[in-house]
Formats: sequence, C-alpha cells, structure tokens
Amino acid sequence: MRTLQLEFYKIRRRKVWLSMFAMLGVQLLWGLWAMRNPKDWELASGWMSLLYSLSVLDGVMMPTIMSLLASRLADIEHKGNTYKQLRTLRPAASLYQAKALCGLIILVVLLAFQAAVFILYGYCLGYEGNPDPRYYLLSYGLKFASCLSLFLLQLLLSMLFANQMIPLVVGLGGSMVALLIMFVSHYSFLPWGGNLSASVVGMDWDENSRIITYFYREYSPAEIAAVVCIFVWVAVFYLAGRILFTRREV
Amino acid sequence: MAVQNLIETHNLTKRYGKALSVNTLNMKVPPGAVYGFLGPNGAGKSTTLKMILGLVKPTAGAITLFGSPMDEKNRIRLLADTGSLIESPSYYGHLSGEENLHIIQTLKGCSKSDVDEVLKIVRLTDARKKLVGHYSLGMKQRLGLAAALLGFPKLLILDEPTNGLDPAGIQEMRELICSLPTEYGITVVVSSHLLSEIDQMANHVGIIRKGELVYQNTLESLHAHAKEQLALRVSHTSIAADLLRQEGIETTQEDGWLLLPMLEDALTAKLIRNLMAQNVSLYRLEQRETSLEDIFLTLTGKESSL
Repeated sequence: MRTLQLEFYKIRRRKVWLSMFAMLGVQLLWGLWAMRNPKDWELASGWMSLLYSLSVLDGVMMPTIMSLLASRLADIEHKGNTYKQLRTLRPAASLYQAKALCGLIILVVLLAFQAAVFILYGYCLGYEGNPDPRYYLLSYGLKFASCLSLFLLQLLLSMLFANQMIPLVVGLGGSMVALLIMFVSHYSFLPWGGNLSASVVGMDWDENSRIITYFYREYSPAEIAAVVCIFVWVAVFYLAGRILFTRREV
Repeated sequence: MAVQNLIETHNLTKRYGKALSVNTLNMKVPPGAVYGFLGPNGAGKSTTLKMILGLVKPTAGAITLFGSPMDEKNRIRLLADTGSLIESPSYYGHLSGEENLHIIQTLKGCSKSDVDEVLKIVRLTDARKKLVGHYSLGMKQRLGLAAALLGFPKLLILDEPTNGLDPAGIQEMRELICSLPTEYGITVVVSSHLLSEIDQMANHVGIIRKGELVYQNTLESLHAHAKEQLALRVSHTSIAADLLRQEGIETTQEDGWLLLPMLEDALTAKLIRNLMAQNVSLYRLEQRETSLEDIFLTLTGKESSL
C-alpha cells in the first residue's frame, strides 16, 4: 500500500493525468463530432450506437493511450537510474505490482470519465430511453480488461527498455493493427483486437436504405474464445512482466 | 571472542557468458571499518558490490550480511540496515531534493526528522526545495549520499562516490566518509580505482584485480609493505654478492642491480671499502623505496590506473 501511494507521489509534476486526459480529450472530440446531428432512427438506438462507436474509438486509440500511460509511469525510473536503489528497499515484485496497480487505478478513472461524458452527451442529444446498465457494465468491464491487457504489455516493455521509443512504437503499431483488424473482423485473438472482441454491440449496415441497425451481440463460440483470450492476455502480460522484471539484474 | 564481520563473501563468483567478472572472492569487512575496495576500472568492484546488495545474482558462492547468510527471502530484511550509492546517484529529476528523500524515508520506514538531519549532513538544506533536475552533479552525488544515510544504517556501501566531483567536493566527501564510523557508528565500504583516495579514507583495504581479491588487510599492513632498499651497480656483481653474503646480507639481482635491505651508514661504508679492496668498481649506489603505488601496480598489473 505504501509503495502504491509512493507511485502516485512520484508522478507529481509529471503531468500524467493531464497527458491522459488530453489523449482522452482527442478521443472525446472525435466521438462527439462523429455523433453530432443524429437522425431519428439513430436516436432510437442511440445508447447501443454509443457503445459500438466507443468500442471502435477505443480499439484504435487505446493501444497508443496505454503505451503513453505505461511509458510515463516507467520512464521516471530509467531517467533517474532509480531501480538499483529501489530494489535494495523493496522486493522487485512489489515494485512491479505497485506500478501495475497505479496504472490500473488511472485506467479506471479514465474509463469512468469517458463513460460519464459520453452518457451525458447521449442525454444531451436526446437518445431515447436510458442506457441499459447491464450492457454498459458488461461493456465497460470487458473494455477495462482489454485496456488492462494493453497497459500490462506496454508496462512490461517500458520497464524493460530504457529507450521509451521501443514501447511507444509498439503502442502506435498496436493502433494500426487494431485498425486493420476492423476491416476484416469484429473480433480478434490478438491483444490489440481486444476492444473489438469486447464490444457487446454489433451492427448491420443496409446498403440500400443506408441505415445502420445496432443489436446486442450473441456471441459465437469463437467470439467467446476471443473474449476469454482478453483475460488470458491480462494474466500472461502481468506474469511475464513480473517474472522478467524480478529476474532482471540492474 | 572473534568480532563478527558485517560482510563476508565466500568464494563469490560472477560469470557473464565466458567472461569471469568476479572470481571466488572472499571479502571480509569488520565492523567500524572504512573498507576501501580498490581496483582498476573493470576489475569487478561494482559487480561485487551489486551482488552484496542483491542487485546481481552470483553465479556461485555465498554472502553473509550481519552474520546471516543472505538469500532472496531475507535479502530486504538484511538490507534494511544498509545504505547504498551504486555507480551514480538515483533520483527523480522532477521532484525536489526533499521529495526524493521523502520517498526513500517512506520506503525505509525511518523517521521524518532523519530527512532534515541528512540534508544538514550533506549540506543540502538550502537546496531542499529545488528540483533535483536542476542540481549540479556534485549536489546529486550528495543527495545520493543523503539517501543512503537515511535511517542511519549500520552499513554503507558506496561505489565510486567521488566520481564527477570537483576537488573541493572530493575533499568534502572524503571527510564526511571518514567521520561516519566515529560520529554515527556506520561501517563504510567505499570502492575506488584511485589509490590515493583510498589511502586517505580507508583503514582496511581490499584490492581486486580481474575479479580476484589479490590483497585484503589493514591499510597499515599495506603501508608496511612499502619498504626501502639499497641498490648497487658494480663491475663484478657475483663477487659483490659473495662479499655481502659473508657479511650476512642477503641480496637479489634485478636488471644488473644488486638489491639489499637498508643498512646502517657505518655498515654501508664498510661494505664499500671491502668492495674497493676486492677491486670491484662501484658505479652506482641508490636508495630505493617501494611506494604504495608500486605495491598497487604489482598487485593489480602495470596497466592499472592510479
């Protein structure tokens, strides 16, 4: 607990929150612009379309946002050459755990903020009815797991490499991979496709009427496996990061 | 009863691939000592100190700290009474000196008043609110020492603490290190590649060369090796050697010189007369001194820096 508190103390003046909210701000502006001026049929299925749009936005942006978050948390240690001192005071596993928890808490705040802003926007646009809490909770639960897997992958890289360009390039590459996945499928077993697999809403676009129909997805066995895969990635990246960081000599 | 050493390594070995960085090293650091760990660059000093701190895993051998064998499970508990400064100071440049120390103080679980005290000791009280990123290298080094001193541990491990300091800073650091055992009861292990530095700080010395501990004893004992000799260069070396042997003086030959221990002036005069009487011409008579530098170079190899 003390080590976790210190993680937040250490990121003072690093503008971690500001940079995270700035990234989220870009996402919000993009989302808010894309969803402006809804048509009547869009208002009817507004809350579903919102979940779908968010899964697309997160799919593209979260790999980059998570790489930035992990890098901001880890590079303070590389810059100041602090691991060799910290590891004489705390077990390496505990230091890794504190960094992971710190990122997890920031992620929860970011997603809560994102949900609040978009739901408020949905009400402002006049979406019919209310958001279904079951689907919103499920969607955000899966989104959280997917973002967490990306964060843990990036944290692993950011803690192992002093040169933060390497993890940042992986993050940007992840966004590109997510974009490519979207063209071919609505789910993926790759960590960067987690936000797409996690979407609880599907859509069907009628070419003739140019109307999109949104629906709550019924998962096929392959899609269920892709969702399970998100949790597998969380476990794999967490354990891999912890083991590699613990065994690493400084 | 024998005094328990604070650090003991038993056949400590570290191998990186084919390269043997530290080879069956047996280090013994007695309590209250300023132990100078001396060796040329790349001799294995930092690797040894990192192994003692558990930052590098030994390939073979064991480490005993405060009388307890150290392993991964008890490492942090044993290191709780240790402060360290390895290679370069660790710091968060975006935080102030005081905030940096607050982090270490929290992790060490020591009193908040220790922060004020160590800042005073390293003379950084006035710069406590300044961001460490704006500190000079000397100030960062002093901050590193302050962090190591937090909680006033029983043992302080300092790896080349004067690196990058100006002459005044070096002198200041030296005085501070020398005062730690007497003023705070702290045993200090300080590594350096500079003999003069260790000579001015340490009372015990360990000399490492290519990963092997080639000398370990008190500094006083090392000084005792710094002996004086007489060197003779004569026309007939073997005759002169026989004459000296008859007088009970053992000699050695080196590059055409006869080396003998320091003699009384009267005996030296007598020997010269005897040599003349035997028609042995005396070309040179020199008084030679084996300095600490010579001993260090002999122990560590001629290529070593001083």
